[in-house]
Amino acid sequence: MKKKYVLKLYVIGSSASSERALINLKEIIAKESETVFQLEVIDVSNCPQLAEEDKILAIPTLIRKLPIPIRKIIGDLSDKEKVLLGLNLISQNEKPQ
Amino acid sequence: MAAKIKGIPAKAKSTDNSSSVSGGVEKIPTGIKGFDEVLEGGVPRGRALLITGSTGTGKTVFANEFLYRGITKYNENGVYVTFEEHPKEIIKNVRNFGWDLDILIRQKKLVFVDASPDNIQTRESGEYDLLGLVERIKHAIVKAKAKRVVIDVVSMLFSKFSNKDTIREVIFLICDELKRLDVTTVITAEKAGDNGNTLSRYGVEEYVLDGVVELVLKTGQQQFLRKMFIKKLRGAGYRSGQVEFEVTNNGLEVFPKIVADHRVSKTDFKNREMFGLEGVDKALGGGIPQGHMLLISGNTGTGKTIFGMHMIVEGIKKGQNAVYVALEEPVEQIKKTAQEFGFEFEKLEKEGNLIFICPRLIDMFNDKVLNEIVNAVNKIGAKRVVIDSISSLMSATMNEESVRQFLIQASSFFKSQGIVCLMNFLSGANFGAAKGQLLAAFETSAMRLSSIVDGIILLLYVERNQRIKRIFNILKLRGSWHSNNIFQYEINKNGIKFGERYEE
Repeated sequence: MKKKYVLKLYVIGSSASSERALINLKEIIAKESETVFQLEVIDVSNCPQLAEEDKILAIPTLIRKLPIPIRKIIGDLSDKEKVLLGLNLISQNEKPQ
Repeated sequence: MAAKIKGIPAKAKSTDNSSSVSGGVEKIPTGIKGFDEVLEGGVPRGRALLITGSTGTGKTVFANEFLYRGITKYNENGVYVTFEEHPKEIIKNVRNFGWDLDILIRQKKLVFVDASPDNIQTRESGEYDLLGLVERIKHAIVKAKAKRVVIDVVSMLFSKFSNKDTIREVIFLICDELKRLDVTTVITAEKAGDNGNTLSRYGVEEYVLDGVVELVLKTGQQQFLRKMFIKKLRGAGYRSGQVEFEVTNNGLEVFPKIVADHRVSKTDFKNREMFGLEGVDKALGGGIPQGHMLLISGNTGTGKTIFGMHMIVEGIKKGQNAVYVALEEPVEQIKKTAQEFGFEFEKLEKEGNLIFICPRLIDMFNDKVLNEIVNAVNKIGAKRVVIDSISSLMSATMNEESVRQFLIQASSFFKSQGIVCLMNFLSGANFGAAKGQLLAAFETSAMRLSSIVDGIILLLYVERNQRIKRIFNILKLRGSWHSNNIFQYEINKNGIKFGERYEE
């Protein structure tokens, strides 16, 4: 039984950091064969109300909705280790080689 | 009721549904009692005002009232961006002031942008900006059709995010965006200690904000004394210096300094205001010149208060209303004392010819008292004022300098209105006046106020032949002849009985 992750990525228009975040996130997801990801990319300028509900300040922001607890990672996700830690895809003591 | 100052040639305007233009900048009233007068009409439209202060100084109340009055009084909808408290907490807190935000939210006149802390674990990975916040604020402004925005407390951003440049950028960006949308903004920021995150440390204050107001809290004997300093207001006039304010159960109340143009003086030497005591009026060359401020200095029991009562009753008899500032005794006691001499203060008060002002003596606000006096004078068009006594004012404020300030402001106001003011001053002159040297024992403390007042009357006891005698002398009366004689007087059931020249 594969783990299921529900992710939301808040971006804005075609900003450089938003584009980088999406590329970086896709790379991470591609390497996680043991997990099923459901990813929704939301542009704040089109859906400000959703951003309000999720209390988004920084762009880009990645939210892990499931599994709970909810986690947030802000930034272009270039520090992949922090992303993996933040999403709880690895624990502190099994760092990738 | 706004503290309106009638007849004062200041640019201050009444705040009802009006905006004013001064120096080419359109101003909108905040609706905060007294504050708009200090800002000579209000805050510049479309600009951002920073309110700084440490915890508990009233920043959030200020911000809330700016929004609430805007919506309810001036029909300007609002957006509240909160970084500190959750909207629910804010709504609950301001209910104490009688402000119902729930209704405004339902009416879509108020929209919250909730940026208060959540308990979600957040990590930073790589570069980011704070455009999410900007988009949410823009969205809320459109949704509320807002004309006013509050950002409370913006300095919280510095503890939320590690990249200080990003925060600075976003504050610039938000202010820019708000200006473009022509909304007027109040931003609050915590003023922490020397090593704290003050906005100015990041160069935000200087470049982005059009106005800066600092709120200060001082500990008094029994309560807090609050002051505000307008530090800058770009491109618009305001009254500089510090002003006192209070947090009342109805919001903030600011006590603006009384601005009376000291060049305007209705001092009139031909117009004499009389005591109705023949000898006294004669010794004064016909009475006190209109617009003069007179000090009556004497030891306890010399009858200073009774002289004041005579002046009030005589004035009202001649159609001049009066204000009595009671700093020594409770008003009820003054009325009873007056009654003993046949002065019907109770009746005069009821008929609207006389107003009593009795300020709290501990932790007293000079500016508040001054505003009360101005309001009372304007209310009944008073032409005579008695302040009983200046010595109480000194011991209440424990500060001679602030009493001097008070007197200077009061003096220019009275002069601009042609009001005669009698101030009692308790001097410590003793009984030991030697024969032929009656005034030698006069305590000089009253003299220190000499440059402010226009006249000084001395009352003194002397002991002669195992009896106490009361003597009277006019030490000074600006611009007027006055008798240099020393007179004898008594106090009887009709008040002062003025006598002949005292001779030993």
